[in-house]
Amino acid sequence: MIDFQSGYILRPVNPVFIYFSLFCALLLNLLPIGNYGWVPDWLILCIVFWNIHQHRYVSVITAFILGLMMDVHNSDLLGLHAFSYSLVAYVAISWHRRIVALTVLSQALHLLPIFLLVSLFPVLAHWLLSGELYWWALTGAIQALIEAMLWPLATRVLLAPQRRPIDVDHNRPL
Amino acid sequence: MLIDFRFKALDPIRNNVNWILRPLEYVMMAPRNAFEATSEYFTTRSTLDQENQVMKVRQAELSLLANQSEFLMVENQNLRELMTLQKQVPFKTLPVEILFNPPNPISQRIVINRGSNDGLKLGNPIANDSGILGQVVRLYERSAEVSLLEDRDFAVPVQVARNGLRAAVFGAGRGNPLELRYLPVASDLEVGDILLTSGIDGVYPPGFAVAVISKIERNVDKNSSNVFCVPIAAVNRYRQALAFLYDPQLDAKAAANNKSASGAPLTNTPGRRQTRARGMQ
Repeated sequence: MIDFQSGYILRPVNPVFIYFSLFCALLLNLLPIGNYGWVPDWLILCIVFWNIHQHRYVSVITAFILGLMMDVHNSDLLGLHAFSYSLVAYVAISWHRRIVALTVLSQALHLLPIFLLVSLFPVLAHWLLSGELYWWALTGAIQALIEAMLWPLATRVLLAPQRRPIDVDHNRPL
Repeated sequence: MLIDFRFKALDPIRNNVNWILRPLEYVMMAPRNAFEATSEYFTTRSTLDQENQVMKVRQAELSLLANQSEFLMVENQNLRELMTLQKQVPFKTLPVEILFNPPNPISQRIVINRGSNDGLKLGNPIANDSGILGQVVRLYERSAEVSLLEDRDFAVPVQVARNGLRAAVFGAGRGNPLELRYLPVASDLEVGDILLTSGIDGVYPPGFAVAVISKIERNVDKNSSNVFCVPIAAVNRYRQALAFLYDPQLDAKAAANNKSASGAPLTNTPGRRQTRARGMQ
């Protein structure tokens, strides 16, 4: 796959690394930080990243299963995160050709609506079910902004193994 | 989502996912616990000395009170027998540890480290040394989810300690003061009144502190008063708490059970509040 930022051809991805990174993101989400709206959702960042770059390995079904786990952890209605994660995974996969061609910063801007959808979905679902909208629960928007700001970092970290040169020439480094 | 909301049919799936997830949660709690352990280990000698002093005084007071209260308890039971009233039901307590606070903007819950294997039941109250914290609303084998007093529409039947006026305290969502609803303007309430559990619901044992009245707005036009209270127990502070394994056989709940056995369906099982027909759990 071509890295549109540098123009180099990337090394093939290691599926083990994909699943390892998803597992790490899940663990980060399980950190007992407390009930704060702005804490970034590492898992959705990771899922969206792999949906855009390697959608053959990380599909809607993966997003659904991980969302189910987050539902149980958050003591939410079963299916709330599962649905929003898989919805977002679908959107990300259908946008992936357009998004990889952009620069990293405009990628982050493009992905902001996706992150907003994930953060505000529980509030909206609750609004539909009970007819009450909680304005203070809209702090999820801050979470989405933070996730969008973390996107360049995610690109750097998660693409690093693929950006390694194939044969390192110690005498003539690039 | 609807299936879970309406029929509670997905509990087996939830239990299985929880069974996988719980070890991971324990692993991720390790850094925080290690940090707390080290900071506790390095507390200075003087603070320990101070704490010790306070504890000694407190213990002396409490043991005096305990002697007295045993006497009062016996006397109370005897008087109740004389008057052919119902006896107070004794109950066991179970020390629990609060594991974490799930990140969920809509509800206020905590997860504790005891579950159905330890004898915990749905609807058991959770309290700490100063007052009621909440109630068990979802039960797993080795853990349970507890709704806190602050949770939206969480209701506790209370009694004003000063004059015995009965009312119900409702949670108003995260960060908002609790509300005492459905009271007329002329009700005898003052700022600073302590609200105790009344025990008429058969879920909470009577006589435990819940909240203190902090503000009263009397609205003469509508003949209603908005009363706001603050929970007595520090709801979001400590890690240790007690679960009351309270199950009164001779109470309103038992009567309701008998009624349901004779035909009418019982909808108000402990832990699923009837006031909450709408909204998410």
